[in-house]
Amino acid sequence: MPKWGMVIDLEKCTGCQACTAACAMENSRLPGESWQDVILFTEGEYPSVQIKWFPRPCMQCENPSCVHVCPTRATYKTDQGFVLIDWDRCIGCKYCMIACPYGVRFYTDEKPLAAPDPRKVFKSEDEHSWNPPWKAPQEDWKRGVGIQPRGVVSKCTFCYHRVSKAPKDVPDLSEHDPKTREYTPACVVACPPTARYFGDLDNPDSEVSMMIANKNGIRLLDQLGNKPQVYYLTGSGGAVPSNRAIKKT
Amino acid sequence: MNFFAEPRNFAEAARYLIDLWRREGTLQFLRLSLTLGREKSVAGEMWKYGVAIGLLSFAFVAFMLLTEGGAAFNTSSDGINWGLAVSVYIFFALTSSGLTFIASLSMVFGFREYYPIAKRCIWLAIITLGAGFTVLALELGHPFRMLWAMPAGMQYLSPMFWMAVFYLIDLVLLLIKFDRLWHDDWHSPLSHFLSVASFVAVVLASGMLGLVFGSMVMRPMWFGSFTAVYFILTAALSGAAAIVLATYMAYGFRHENMPEPLRSMAAGKALPKVFATLTGIALFSVVTRIWTGLWSNLDGLEGFHALVRSPAFHVEVWVGLTLPFVLMVAPALQRQPRWQITAGALVLLGMFIDRYTFLVTGQAVPMFKGAWASGLAEYAPSLTEWMMAVLGFAIVFACYGLGEKLFHLAGNPRHEVRGSAEPKAA
Repeated sequence: MPKWGMVIDLEKCTGCQACTAACAMENSRLPGESWQDVILFTEGEYPSVQIKWFPRPCMQCENPSCVHVCPTRATYKTDQGFVLIDWDRCIGCKYCMIACPYGVRFYTDEKPLAAPDPRKVFKSEDEHSWNPPWKAPQEDWKRGVGIQPRGVVSKCTFCYHRVSKAPKDVPDLSEHDPKTREYTPACVVACPPTARYFGDLDNPDSEVSMMIANKNGIRLLDQLGNKPQVYYLTGSGGAVPSNRAIKKT
Repeated sequence: MNFFAEPRNFAEAARYLIDLWRREGTLQFLRLSLTLGREKSVAGEMWKYGVAIGLLSFAFVAFMLLTEGGAAFNTSSDGINWGLAVSVYIFFALTSSGLTFIASLSMVFGFREYYPIAKRCIWLAIITLGAGFTVLALELGHPFRMLWAMPAGMQYLSPMFWMAVFYLIDLVLLLIKFDRLWHDDWHSPLSHFLSVASFVAVVLASGMLGLVFGSMVMRPMWFGSFTAVYFILTAALSGAAAIVLATYMAYGFRHENMPEPLRSMAAGKALPKVFATLTGIALFSVVTRIWTGLWSNLDGLEGFHALVRSPAFHVEVWVGLTLPFVLMVAPALQRQPRWQITAGALVLLGMFIDRYTFLVTGQAVPMFKGAWASGLAEYAPSLTEWMMAVLGFAIVFACYGLGEKLFHLAGNPRHEVRGSAEPKAA
């Protein structure tokens, strides 16, 4: 049983947001509901100010606080390491959003970030929260895949609908390997500088395991104990933002 | 609907209502139902206005939820996830817990001087908890799904699961306890057991509500075991303030309308003593929490700086806690009804603000999602959220008026005789 994980090389990431766009297209996300996002932030003050960026998917934590707080077990972790949401069980209490240290969860029923509200323009006649003119074919509400119903929380699934169909005993899923390309998460496939790698963290021969070991992979907010399955390579040019991006007063 | 005596059970009450309906006709019956009797009374007014405001606010909230859904709230995934509705729930749930604590003074710990307010405390605890649950249900995406998904899921790791379990136990015990008091059973072993069990349940419930926040290590403004203690202590204060205000309200804010045991209790030192002690403890807790928050360099505690700069915080500390504390320790003022009423109202205002600022500032420091923004997340409740708060208060007012009329809330073990010559509630 693989334990899927991701490595993001911050030295290679250009902050182009191709991953964000690919994720939105693959998973039919609303504007602002960026399961995968590249966070832009500034460091320093004028005239020495720098703009930096930080790609941030769901960390699919080994020890996920969102799973522990969910009062209905709507959020759960699978044997293969996916943290998923059962939209038929979610009561929309938003406790998982409170408990996620990485801010990667989204509530469906909120004020729209874009005008006119896409949910009203492409109104759904059934239980779906909206009905876009083009949407990806996959739908699995038990795993939080597809367009969600109203009143639930959604999040990145590590492209469960792709990865779960991958051939057995494959150490890595790569967009460069024709045999695994279609099973690789959309954000990994779309990354122009190949800053993202996806593979089995439990397999010492996988590329992701070797990169984590050889290039000193780090996990975000490791002190909180969530143990993300997304690792970052910082090298000499990468940037990991401080925990909180606001100024001390 | 002037009962000469309390109905003994629901069957008796239903029989009386059916008789009344037959006797008076449908229109007159409805009119009497809205005014709770032929004569104007404080209870009748509370019921009438509570029902009217409750229906209006519910209609507004329901319309907004049906047309806009959650977009009618100003909460957002990027900033404040839990807004005013959740803070109103916390306010009512903790006030309910506090009322049970106050009832326990006499019913568990044997301080007999508090018997005259015990039954009223239990009724108020039931209705405030009901109001809190109602507001929370309107905030949830799928409130009815909760009824099966929580027991089916049995997520024992979730503080919210245990909070729901303990508050449910609390509500059931309160209802049974009130039923026993309705039947004048104050001292039987069953009644005593219910009182003790209810006290234990409410400590666990309010403490667990604190741990819903206190367990969140990623939210440093909430994190720590102190949050559970803070909730329990401030719950007791909310309960004390609520019972002082509610008792006076039931008698038209007129001391002389109260029955004797209540009058002497209000005029004695017991009430201000408890009130002042709880206010002092709450004030100390608020100040120590702010002190550690301002002093620490820990990332995520910056919200405390924003908190001390907000006018609401100063209203809470100076007007909602310090002033009532002074009023209740000053020998010249502490036993005067007008100052007791003022202190009760101010403390409730202070506690309402406290629940709101605790909740909102705890989420105001952005985590990674908020790194797009360079400051604290901003939030102001929408009209729909305010109307949900109004609905909560309307439910409490309406049910309090109804309880006052139906259940003889001033009942106590020393005055068990029905239809005695003691003054009736206005």
